Amino acid sequence: MPGATGTLVDHFFRHEYGRLVAVLTRSLGLKRLDLVEDAVQSALTQAMQTWPRRGIPDDPAAWLFRVAKHAALDALRREQTWDRIRDALRPGADYEPAERPPEDQVGDELLRLLVACCHDALPVESQVALALKAVCGFSVGEIARALLTTQANVQKRLTRAKEKLREVEFEPAALVPDQLASRLDAVLTILYLIFNEGYAATSSDDLIRQDLCQEAARLTLLLAEHTEAAAAQALFALMCFQAARFDARLSAGGDLVLLADQDRSRWDRTLIEQGWSWLRVAARGDVLTRYHLEAALAAEHGLAPTFAATNWQRIVGLYDQLLRLEPSPLHVLNRAIAIAYLHGPQAALACMEPWTPRGGPKGYPYWPATLGELHRRLGHFEQARHYLEQALELTQSLPERHLLEQRLRWCAAGLAHVEAEPA
Amino acid sequence: MAKFLFVYRAPPMDGPPPSPEQMQAVLAAWGDWIGKFAQAGSIVDAGDGLKETGRVLNSKGVVTDGPFVEAKEVLGGYSIIQAPDYDAALKVAKACPAAQYGSIEIRELAGYN
Repeated sequence: MPGATGTLVDHFFRHEYGRLVAVLTRSLGLKRLDLVEDAVQSALTQAMQTWPRRGIPDDPAAWLFRVAKHAALDALRREQTWDRIRDALRPGADYEPAERPPEDQVGDELLRLLVACCHDALPVESQVALALKAVCGFSVGEIARALLTTQANVQKRLTRAKEKLREVEFEPAALVPDQLASRLDAVLTILYLIFNEGYAATSSDDLIRQDLCQEAARLTLLLAEHTEAAAAQALFALMCFQAARFDARLSAGGDLVLLADQDRSRWDRTLIEQGWSWLRVAARGDVLTRYHLEAALAAEHGLAPTFAATNWQRIVGLYDQLLRLEPSPLHVLNRAIAIAYLHGPQAALACMEPWTPRGGPKGYPYWPATLGELHRRLGHFEQARHYLEQALELTQSLPERHLLEQRLRWCAAGLAHVEAEPA
Repeated sequence: MAKFLFVYRAPPMDGPPPSPEQMQAVLAAWGDWIGKFAQAGSIVDAGDGLKETGRVLNSKGVVTDGPFVEAKEVLGGYSIIQAPDYDAALKVAKACPAAQYGSIEIRELAGYN
Protein backbone atom coordinates (compact mmCIF):
# COMPACT_ATOMS: atom_id res chain seq x y z
CA MET A 1 0.00 0.00 0.00
CA PRO A 2 1.64 3.16 -1.14
CA GLY A 3 1.34 6.44 0.68
CA ALA A 4 3.34 8.14 3.32
CA THR A 5 2.61 6.99 6.84
CA GLY A 6 2.91 9.86 9.23
CA THR A 7 5.07 12.90 8.75
CA LEU A 8 8.46 14.07 9.93
CA VAL A 9 9.03 16.76 12.49
CA ASP A 10 10.18 20.15 11.22
CA HIS A 11 13.86 20.31 10.31
CA PHE A 12 14.18 16.52 10.72
CA PHE A 13 16.47 16.17 7.70
CA ARG A 14 18.54 19.19 8.62
CA HIS A 15 19.09 17.97 12.16
CA GLU A 16 19.73 14.40 11.08
CA TYR A 17 22.34 15.70 8.67
CA GLY A 18 24.38 17.18 11.52
CA ARG A 19 23.91 14.13 13.72
CA LEU A 20 24.95 11.71 10.96
CA VAL A 21 27.97 13.77 9.95
CA ALA A 22 28.98 13.95 13.60
CA VAL A 23 28.64 10.24 14.28
CA LEU A 24 30.33 9.16 11.04
CA THR A 25 33.27 11.56 11.32
CA ARG A 26 33.78 10.14 14.77
CA SER A 27 34.47 6.75 13.18
CA LEU A 28 36.15 7.88 10.00
CA GLY A 29 37.97 10.98 11.16
CA LEU A 30 37.48 14.59 10.32
CA LYS A 31 39.82 14.16 7.37
CA ARG A 32 36.96 12.36 5.69
CA LEU A 33 34.49 15.15 6.21
CA ASP A 34 33.81 15.51 2.47
CA LEU A 35 33.25 11.79 2.00
CA VAL A 36 31.00 11.67 5.04
CA GLU A 37 28.97 14.65 3.88
CA ASP A 38 28.47 13.03 0.47
CA ALA A 39 27.37 9.80 2.10
CA VAL A 40 24.86 11.58 4.32
CA GLN A 41 23.58 13.58 1.38
CA SER A 42 23.02 10.41 -0.61
CA ALA A 43 21.18 8.77 2.29
CA LEU A 44 18.84 11.74 2.48
CA THR A 45 18.35 11.60 -1.29
CA GLN A 46 17.38 7.94 -1.09
CA ALA A 47 14.97 8.69 1.72
CA MET A 48 13.45 11.48 -0.31
CA GLN A 49 12.82 9.08 -3.20
CA THR A 50 11.80 5.99 -1.25
CA TRP A 51 9.79 7.13 1.73
CA PRO A 52 6.82 8.66 -0.07
CA ARG A 53 6.32 5.35 -1.92
CA ARG A 54 7.01 2.88 0.87
CA GLY A 55 6.00 5.00 3.82
CA ILE A 56 8.24 6.60 6.38
CA PRO A 57 10.01 3.85 8.36
CA ASP A 58 9.18 3.35 12.01
CA ASP A 59 12.59 4.56 13.00
CA PRO A 60 13.58 7.06 10.30
CA ALA A 61 16.77 8.08 12.10
CA ALA A 62 18.02 4.50 12.22
CA TRP A 63 17.13 4.00 8.54
CA LEU A 64 19.14 7.06 7.54
CA PHE A 65 22.05 6.01 9.70
CA ARG A 66 22.17 2.55 8.13
CA VAL A 67 22.04 3.89 4.59
CA ALA A 68 24.55 6.68 5.23
CA LYS A 69 26.94 4.23 6.87
CA HIS A 70 26.82 1.90 3.88
CA ALA A 71 27.26 4.77 1.46
CA ALA A 72 30.33 5.88 3.40
CA LEU A 73 31.76 2.35 3.41
CA ASP A 74 31.14 2.00 -0.33
CA ALA A 75 32.93 5.26 -0.97
CA LEU A 76 35.87 4.12 1.12
CA ARG A 77 36.13 0.83 -0.74
CA ARG A 78 36.02 2.62 -4.05
CA GLU A 79 38.96 4.68 -2.96
CA GLN A 80 40.70 1.42 -2.08
CA THR A 81 42.15 3.00 0.95
CA TRP A 82 40.29 0.65 3.19
CA ASP A 83 43.37 -0.74 4.88
CA ARG A 84 44.94 2.61 5.42
CA ILE A 85 41.79 3.97 6.93
CA ARG A 86 41.35 0.98 9.17
CA ASP A 87 44.87 1.38 10.46
CA ALA A 88 44.34 5.04 11.06
CA LEU A 89 41.33 4.47 13.22
CA ARG A 90 41.80 5.05 16.89
CA PRO A 91 42.84 1.87 18.70
CA GLY A 92 40.00 -0.25 19.91
CA ALA A 93 37.54 1.54 17.73
CA ASP A 94 34.90 -0.69 16.30
CA TYR A 95 34.95 0.23 12.67
CA GLU A 96 31.45 -0.91 11.93
CA PRO A 97 29.30 1.52 13.81
CA ALA A 98 26.26 -0.07 15.42
CA GLU A 99 22.91 -0.07 13.68
CA ARG A 100 22.22 3.21 15.36
CA PRO A 101 24.20 5.18 17.91
CA PRO A 102 22.75 5.41 21.41
CA GLU A 103 20.76 8.58 21.89
CA ASP A 104 22.94 10.12 24.60
CA GLN A 105 26.05 9.57 22.49
CA VAL A 106 24.63 11.54 19.60
CA GLY A 107 24.69 14.74 21.65
CA ASP A 108 28.33 14.11 22.47
CA GLU A 109 29.21 13.54 18.84
CA LEU A 110 27.39 16.65 17.72
CA LEU A 111 29.27 18.75 20.26
CA ARG A 112 32.52 17.11 19.25
CA LEU A 113 31.92 18.10 15.64
CA LEU A 114 30.96 21.61 16.70
CA VAL A 115 34.15 21.96 18.71
CA ALA A 116 36.12 20.72 15.72
CA CYS A 117 34.51 23.36 13.51
CA CYS A 118 35.54 26.02 16.03
CA HIS A 119 39.23 25.21 15.64
CA ASP A 120 41.35 28.27 16.32
CA ALA A 121 43.44 27.63 13.22
CA LEU A 122 40.42 28.78 11.23
CA PRO A 123 39.29 32.37 10.82
CA VAL A 124 36.05 33.04 12.65
CA GLU A 125 34.01 33.46 9.46
CA SER A 126 35.15 30.02 8.28
CA GLN A 127 34.23 28.54 11.64
CA VAL A 128 30.74 29.94 11.29
CA ALA A 129 30.34 28.65 7.73
CA LEU A 130 31.68 25.21 8.59
CA ALA A 131 29.50 24.89 11.68
CA LEU A 132 26.43 25.88 9.69
CA LYS A 133 27.26 23.39 6.96
CA ALA A 134 28.43 20.35 8.89
CA VAL A 135 26.57 20.67 12.19
CA CYS A 136 23.39 22.49 11.16
CA GLY A 137 22.93 20.97 7.69
CA PHE A 138 22.64 24.29 5.85
CA SER A 139 23.35 24.29 2.12
CA VAL A 140 25.92 26.64 0.65
CA GLY A 141 23.09 28.77 -0.73
CA GLU A 142 21.37 28.98 2.64
CA ILE A 143 24.60 29.98 4.36
CA ALA A 144 25.21 32.66 1.75
CA ARG A 145 21.72 34.04 2.29
CA ALA A 146 22.09 33.94 6.06
CA LEU A 147 25.49 35.62 6.13
CA LEU A 148 24.74 38.07 3.32
CA THR A 149 27.52 36.89 1.09
CA THR A 150 27.89 35.02 -2.18
CA GLN A 151 27.75 31.27 -2.64
CA ALA A 152 31.23 31.39 -4.15
CA ASN A 153 32.54 33.08 -1.06
CA VAL A 154 30.94 30.50 1.23
CA GLN A 155 32.31 27.71 -0.93
CA LYS A 156 35.77 29.22 -0.71
CA ARG A 157 35.57 29.51 3.06
CA LEU A 158 34.42 25.91 3.38
CA THR A 159 37.11 24.54 1.09
CA ARG A 160 39.84 26.39 2.93
CA ALA A 161 38.45 25.40 6.29
CA LYS A 162 38.43 21.73 5.33
CA GLU A 163 41.96 21.93 3.94
CA LYS A 164 43.11 23.56 7.12
CA LEU A 165 41.45 20.94 9.25
CA ARG A 166 43.22 18.19 7.32
CA GLU A 167 46.48 20.05 7.79
CA VAL A 168 46.24 20.47 11.53
CA GLU A 169 45.11 16.86 11.83
CA PHE A 170 42.79 17.73 14.61
CA GLU A 171 40.62 14.75 15.36
CA PRO A 172 37.50 15.33 17.35
CA ALA A 173 37.83 11.75 18.54
CA ALA A 174 40.69 12.93 20.70
CA LEU A 175 38.48 15.35 22.47
CA VAL A 176 38.13 14.77 26.18
CA PRO A 177 35.95 16.83 28.53
CA ASP A 178 38.91 18.98 29.58
CA GLN A 179 39.50 20.01 26.00
CA LEU A 180 35.89 20.85 25.55
CA ALA A 181 36.17 23.10 28.58
CA SER A 182 39.24 24.85 27.19
CA ARG A 183 37.49 25.49 23.88
CA LEU A 184 34.15 26.30 25.34
CA ASP A 185 34.76 30.03 24.96
CA ALA A 186 35.43 29.72 21.25
CA VAL A 187 32.38 27.53 20.76
CA LEU A 188 30.12 29.89 22.70
CA THR A 189 31.45 32.85 20.74
CA ILE A 190 30.49 31.16 17.49
CA LEU A 191 27.02 30.26 18.75
CA TYR A 192 26.54 33.80 20.02
CA LEU A 193 27.61 35.10 16.63
CA ILE A 194 25.29 32.81 14.72
CA PHE A 195 22.39 33.80 16.96
CA ASN A 196 23.08 37.50 16.58
CA GLU A 197 23.44 37.18 12.84
CA GLY A 198 19.95 35.72 12.80
CA TYR A 199 18.59 38.19 15.33
CA ALA A 200 19.95 41.38 13.85
CA ALA A 201 17.75 42.37 10.96
CA THR A 202 20.65 42.49 8.54
CA SER A 203 19.31 39.87 6.21
CA SER A 204 16.05 40.40 4.43
CA ASP A 205 15.17 36.75 4.51
CA ASP A 206 12.97 36.27 7.53
CA LEU A 207 12.81 32.49 7.51
CA ILE A 208 16.50 31.86 7.26
CA ARG A 209 17.12 34.31 10.08
CA GLN A 210 14.77 32.44 12.38
CA ASP A 211 16.52 29.23 11.45
CA LEU A 212 19.88 30.69 12.42
CA CYS A 213 18.56 31.65 15.84
CA GLN A 214 16.93 28.28 16.32
CA GLU A 215 20.07 26.39 15.37
CA ALA A 216 22.28 28.47 17.65
CA ALA A 217 19.83 28.01 20.51
CA ARG A 218 19.52 24.28 19.90
CA LEU A 219 23.28 23.77 20.09
CA THR A 220 23.68 26.09 23.06
CA LEU A 221 21.04 24.12 24.92
CA LEU A 222 22.89 20.93 24.07
CA LEU A 223 26.08 22.46 25.48
CA ALA A 224 24.30 23.78 28.55
CA GLU A 225 22.86 20.35 29.27
CA HIS A 226 25.94 18.32 28.47
CA THR A 227 28.67 20.41 30.03
CA GLU A 228 26.68 22.12 32.75
CA ALA A 229 28.98 25.07 32.11
CA ALA A 230 27.53 28.23 33.64
CA ALA A 231 28.56 30.31 30.61
CA ALA A 232 26.59 28.06 28.27
CA GLN A 233 23.57 28.11 30.56
CA ALA A 234 23.69 31.90 30.76
CA LEU A 235 24.03 32.19 26.99
CA PHE A 236 21.00 29.98 26.53
CA ALA A 237 19.06 32.14 28.98
CA LEU A 238 20.07 35.20 26.95
CA MET A 239 18.88 33.54 23.73
CA CYS A 240 15.51 32.73 25.34
CA PHE A 241 14.97 36.34 26.37
CA GLN A 242 15.97 37.64 22.93
CA ALA A 243 13.93 35.07 21.05
CA ALA A 244 10.89 36.03 23.13
CA ARG A 245 10.96 39.40 21.35
CA PHE A 246 11.60 38.04 17.88
CA ASP A 247 8.16 38.72 16.42
CA ALA A 248 7.55 41.98 18.25
CA ARG A 249 10.69 43.51 16.72
CA LEU A 250 9.21 43.83 13.26
CA SER A 251 6.03 45.59 12.27
CA ALA A 252 3.55 44.04 9.86
CA GLY A 253 5.27 46.03 7.12
CA GLY A 254 8.67 44.59 8.06
CA ASP A 255 9.93 47.76 9.71
CA LEU A 256 12.09 47.61 12.77
CA VAL A 257 10.24 48.30 16.02
CA LEU A 258 12.50 49.61 18.77
CA LEU A 259 12.24 48.26 22.27
CA ALA A 260 10.48 51.43 23.38
CA ASP A 261 7.70 50.97 20.83
CA GLN A 262 7.26 47.21 20.98
CA ASP A 263 3.90 45.74 21.83
CA ARG A 264 4.88 43.86 24.97
CA SER A 265 1.85 41.61 24.78
CA ARG A 266 3.51 40.06 21.73
CA TRP A 267 6.49 38.94 23.74
CA ASP A 268 6.59 35.20 24.23
CA ARG A 269 6.02 34.71 27.95
CA THR A 270 6.95 31.02 27.82
CA LEU A 271 10.38 31.84 26.46
CA ILE A 272 10.87 34.57 29.04
CA GLU A 273 10.00 32.04 31.77
CA GLN A 274 12.47 29.59 30.28
CA GLY A 275 15.10 32.31 30.22
CA TRP A 276 14.53 32.94 33.89
CA SER A 277 14.87 29.32 34.90
CA TRP A 278 18.11 28.95 32.93
CA LEU A 279 19.47 32.17 34.35
CA ARG A 280 18.77 30.84 37.85
CA VAL A 281 20.60 27.62 37.00
CA ALA A 282 23.52 29.60 35.55
CA ALA A 283 23.76 31.75 38.66
CA ARG A 284 24.20 28.83 41.05
CA GLY A 285 28.00 28.75 40.93
CA ASP A 286 30.47 31.59 41.37
CA VAL A 287 31.13 32.07 37.65
CA LEU A 288 30.13 35.40 36.17
CA THR A 289 30.44 35.81 32.40
CA ARG A 290 29.35 38.45 29.93
CA TYR A 291 26.51 36.13 29.02
CA HIS A 292 25.23 36.27 32.61
CA LEU A 293 25.21 40.05 32.52
CA GLU A 294 23.71 40.28 29.06
CA ALA A 295 21.02 37.79 30.05
CA ALA A 296 20.33 39.81 33.20
CA LEU A 297 19.97 42.92 31.04
CA ALA A 298 17.53 41.20 28.73
CA ALA A 299 15.67 39.85 31.76
CA GLU A 300 15.42 43.34 33.19
CA HIS A 301 13.68 44.54 30.04
CA GLY A 302 11.42 41.52 30.15
CA LEU A 303 10.37 42.42 33.69
CA ALA A 304 9.20 45.93 32.88
CA PRO A 305 5.48 46.00 32.11
CA THR A 306 5.97 49.11 29.97
CA PHE A 307 8.99 50.82 28.49
CA ALA A 308 8.47 53.79 30.80
CA ALA A 309 8.62 51.45 33.79
CA THR A 310 12.09 50.16 32.84
CA ASN A 311 14.49 50.23 35.75
CA TRP A 312 17.24 52.24 34.03
CA GLN A 313 19.25 52.52 37.23
CA ARG A 314 19.69 48.75 37.37
CA ILE A 315 20.39 48.59 33.66
CA VAL A 316 23.18 51.15 33.91
CA GLY A 317 24.55 49.18 36.89
CA LEU A 318 24.64 45.99 34.81
CA TYR A 319 26.43 47.79 31.98
CA ASP A 320 28.98 49.06 34.49
CA GLN A 321 29.69 45.48 35.51
CA LEU A 322 29.83 44.41 31.88
CA LEU A 323 32.35 47.14 31.10
CA ARG A 324 34.54 46.05 34.00
CA LEU A 325 34.44 42.49 32.72
CA GLU A 326 34.86 43.35 29.06
CA PRO A 327 35.62 46.94 28.10
CA SER A 328 34.01 47.10 24.69
CA PRO A 329 32.76 50.15 22.79
CA LEU A 330 29.50 48.28 22.18
CA HIS A 331 28.79 48.17 25.88
CA VAL A 332 29.75 51.86 26.12
CA LEU A 333 27.15 52.57 23.48
CA ASN A 334 24.39 50.58 25.14
CA ARG A 335 25.20 52.08 28.53
CA ALA A 336 24.97 55.55 26.98
CA ILE A 337 21.50 54.74 25.65
CA ALA A 338 20.41 53.70 29.15
CA ILE A 339 21.97 56.89 30.54
CA ALA A 340 19.94 58.88 28.03
CA TYR A 341 16.74 57.50 29.54
CA LEU A 342 17.99 58.02 33.06
CA HIS A 343 19.67 61.43 32.80
CA GLY A 344 18.85 62.72 29.33
CA PRO A 345 20.63 62.91 25.97
CA GLN A 346 23.30 65.39 27.08
CA ALA A 347 24.62 63.00 29.72
CA ALA A 348 24.56 60.17 27.19
CA LEU A 349 26.62 62.16 24.68
CA ALA A 350 29.16 62.83 27.43
CA CYS A 351 29.56 59.07 27.97
CA MET A 352 30.22 58.50 24.29
CA GLU A 353 32.53 61.47 23.90
CA PRO A 354 35.84 59.72 24.70
CA TRP A 355 35.19 57.28 21.86
CA THR A 356 33.57 59.53 19.31
CA PRO A 357 36.68 61.12 17.76
CA ARG A 358 37.55 57.68 16.45
CA GLY A 359 33.99 57.31 15.22
CA GLY A 360 33.27 54.38 17.52
CA PRO A 361 33.86 50.83 16.33
CA LYS A 362 34.72 50.78 12.66
CA GLY A 363 31.89 50.03 10.27
CA TYR A 364 29.38 49.79 13.10
CA PRO A 365 26.22 51.71 12.12
CA TYR A 366 24.68 51.85 15.59
CA TRP A 367 27.33 54.24 16.90
CA PRO A 368 26.62 57.14 14.52
CA ALA A 369 22.92 56.21 14.53
CA THR A 370 22.80 56.70 18.29
CA LEU A 371 24.82 59.92 18.13
CA GLY A 372 22.43 61.22 15.50
CA GLU A 373 19.38 60.34 17.56
CA LEU A 374 20.79 61.94 20.72
CA HIS A 375 21.64 65.16 18.86
CA ARG A 376 18.18 65.20 17.32
CA ARG A 377 16.57 65.00 20.72
CA LEU A 378 18.71 67.93 21.79
CA GLY A 379 17.60 69.89 18.75
CA HIS A 380 21.08 69.82 17.15
CA PHE A 381 19.61 68.99 13.76
CA GLU A 382 22.72 69.81 11.75
CA GLN A 383 24.93 67.40 13.72
CA ALA A 384 22.11 64.87 13.88
CA ARG A 385 21.87 64.79 10.11
CA HIS A 386 25.61 64.33 9.76
CA TYR A 387 25.63 61.24 11.98
CA LEU A 388 22.41 59.74 10.64
CA GLU A 389 23.74 59.97 7.11
CA GLN A 390 26.96 58.36 8.25
CA ALA A 391 24.94 55.50 9.74
CA LEU A 392 22.94 55.11 6.52
CA GLU A 393 26.15 54.44 4.64
CA LEU A 394 26.99 51.61 6.99
CA THR A 395 23.86 49.46 6.96
CA GLN A 396 22.30 47.37 4.22
CA SER A 397 19.38 46.29 6.36
CA LEU A 398 16.12 47.65 4.96
CA PRO A 399 14.29 47.97 8.31
CA GLU A 400 17.28 49.80 9.76
CA ARG A 401 17.48 52.11 6.76
CA HIS A 402 13.80 52.92 7.02
CA LEU A 403 14.26 53.87 10.65
CA LEU A 404 17.23 56.13 9.89
CA GLU A 405 15.41 57.78 7.01
CA GLN A 406 12.47 58.47 9.29
CA ARG A 407 14.80 60.14 11.82
CA LEU A 408 16.26 62.25 9.01
CA ARG A 409 12.75 63.38 8.07
CA TRP A 410 12.14 64.37 11.67
CA CYS A 411 15.36 66.41 11.60
CA ALA A 412 14.28 68.13 8.41
CA ALA A 413 10.95 68.97 10.05
CA GLY A 414 12.73 70.25 13.13
CA LEU A 415 11.16 67.60 15.35
CA ALA A 416 13.19 67.04 18.49
CA HIS A 417 10.65 65.60 20.86
CA VAL A 418 8.93 62.89 18.85
CA GLU A 419 9.73 59.53 20.40
CA ALA A 420 7.54 57.50 18.12
CA GLU A 421 5.57 58.23 15.00
CA PRO A 422 1.82 58.40 15.62
CA ALA A 423 0.23 55.18 14.41
CA MET B 1 -10.71 2.35 -16.06
CA ALA B 2 -7.53 2.75 -18.07
CA LYS B 3 -4.05 2.50 -16.69
CA PHE B 4 -1.37 5.08 -17.39
CA LEU B 5 2.38 5.01 -17.01
CA PHE B 6 3.88 8.23 -15.67
CA VAL B 7 7.50 8.62 -16.65
CA TYR B 8 9.36 11.31 -14.76
CA ARG B 9 12.19 13.16 -16.42
CA ALA B 10 14.19 16.02 -15.03
CA PRO B 11 17.20 18.04 -16.11
CA PRO B 12 20.44 16.43 -14.88
CA MET B 13 21.56 17.89 -11.60
CA ASP B 14 24.24 20.46 -11.87
CA GLY B 15 25.12 23.04 -9.32
CA PRO B 16 24.95 22.45 -5.63
CA PRO B 17 22.86 19.55 -4.34
CA PRO B 18 19.60 20.41 -2.60
CA SER B 19 19.85 21.15 1.09
CA PRO B 20 18.45 18.76 3.69
CA GLU B 21 15.66 21.26 4.25
CA GLN B 22 14.74 21.30 0.55
CA MET B 23 14.85 17.51 0.38
CA GLN B 24 12.46 17.23 3.29
CA ALA B 25 10.11 19.61 1.49
CA VAL B 26 10.24 17.46 -1.68
CA LEU B 27 9.58 14.34 0.38
CA ALA B 28 6.59 15.97 1.99
CA ALA B 29 5.22 17.05 -1.40
CA TRP B 30 5.49 13.50 -2.79
CA GLY B 31 3.99 12.07 0.36
CA ASP B 32 1.01 14.41 0.04
CA TRP B 33 0.52 13.61 -3.62
CA ILE B 34 0.74 9.85 -3.24
CA GLY B 35 -1.34 9.93 -0.08
CA LYS B 36 -4.10 11.95 -1.71
CA PHE B 37 -4.37 10.01 -4.95
CA ALA B 38 -3.86 6.61 -3.38
CA GLN B 39 -6.85 7.29 -1.18
CA ALA B 40 -8.85 8.34 -4.23
CA GLY B 41 -7.89 5.03 -5.85
CA SER B 42 -5.93 6.64 -8.70
CA ILE B 43 -2.53 5.23 -7.87
CA VAL B 44 -2.06 1.61 -8.87
CA ASP B 45 1.64 1.52 -8.14
CA ALA B 46 3.56 4.48 -6.79
CA GLY B 47 6.52 3.03 -8.65
CA ASP B 48 10.04 3.89 -7.74
CA GLY B 49 12.84 6.33 -8.29
CA LEU B 50 15.75 5.38 -10.51
CA LYS B 51 19.41 5.55 -9.59
CA GLU B 52 21.41 7.95 -11.65
CA THR B 53 23.60 5.55 -13.57
CA GLY B 54 22.98 2.29 -15.42
CA ARG B 55 23.96 0.26 -18.48
CA VAL B 56 22.75 0.49 -22.05
CA LEU B 57 22.69 -2.57 -24.30
CA ASN B 58 22.28 -1.76 -27.97
CA SER B 59 21.18 -3.98 -30.84
CA LYS B 60 24.78 -4.83 -31.73
CA GLY B 61 25.23 -6.31 -28.31
CA VAL B 62 27.45 -3.47 -27.13
CA VAL B 63 27.09 -2.51 -23.52
CA THR B 64 27.89 1.03 -22.49
CA ASP B 65 27.56 2.96 -19.31
CA GLY B 66 24.40 4.94 -19.39
CA PRO B 67 22.07 6.61 -19.36
CA PHE B 68 23.02 9.28 -21.79
CA VAL B 69 24.43 11.89 -19.48
CA GLU B 70 24.40 14.49 -22.24
CA ALA B 71 20.63 14.25 -22.47
CA LYS B 72 18.65 17.34 -21.59
CA GLU B 73 16.49 15.35 -19.26
CA VAL B 74 17.22 12.14 -17.46
CA LEU B 75 14.81 9.43 -16.47
CA GLY B 76 14.16 9.79 -12.77
CA GLY B 77 11.30 7.49 -11.89
CA TYR B 78 7.87 6.15 -12.76
CA SER B 79 4.41 5.45 -11.36
CA ILE B 80 1.31 3.67 -12.61
CA ILE B 81 -1.99 5.50 -12.38
CA GLN B 82 -5.54 4.51 -13.19
CA ALA B 83 -8.02 7.01 -14.54
CA PRO B 84 -11.06 7.03 -16.85
CA ASP B 85 -9.26 9.04 -19.56
CA TYR B 86 -6.30 11.23 -20.43
CA ASP B 87 -7.93 14.34 -19.01
CA ALA B 88 -8.35 12.70 -15.63
CA ALA B 89 -4.80 11.32 -15.75
CA LEU B 90 -3.53 14.80 -16.58
CA LYS B 91 -5.23 16.17 -13.50
CA VAL B 92 -3.28 13.71 -11.37
CA ALA B 93 -0.06 14.59 -13.23
CA LYS B 94 -0.53 18.31 -12.80
CA ALA B 95 -0.71 17.87 -9.03
CA CYS B 96 2.45 15.73 -9.02
CA PRO B 97 5.61 17.29 -7.52
CA ALA B 98 7.64 15.97 -10.47
CA ALA B 99 5.83 18.48 -12.68
CA GLN B 100 7.56 21.27 -10.81
CA TYR B 101 11.12 20.36 -11.65
CA GLY B 102 10.82 18.26 -14.81
CA SER B 103 8.44 16.71 -17.28
CA ILE B 104 5.98 13.85 -16.92
CA GLU B 105 5.33 11.68 -19.92
CA ILE B 106 1.90 10.08 -19.70
CA ARG B 107 1.29 6.89 -21.70
CA GLU B 108 -1.77 4.70 -21.60
CA LEU B 109 -0.97 1.03 -21.08
CA ALA B 110 -2.13 -1.02 -24.08
CA GLY B 111 -3.42 -3.80 -21.82
CA TYR B 112 -2.21 -6.66 -24.04
CA ASN B 113 -2.05 -9.08 -21.16
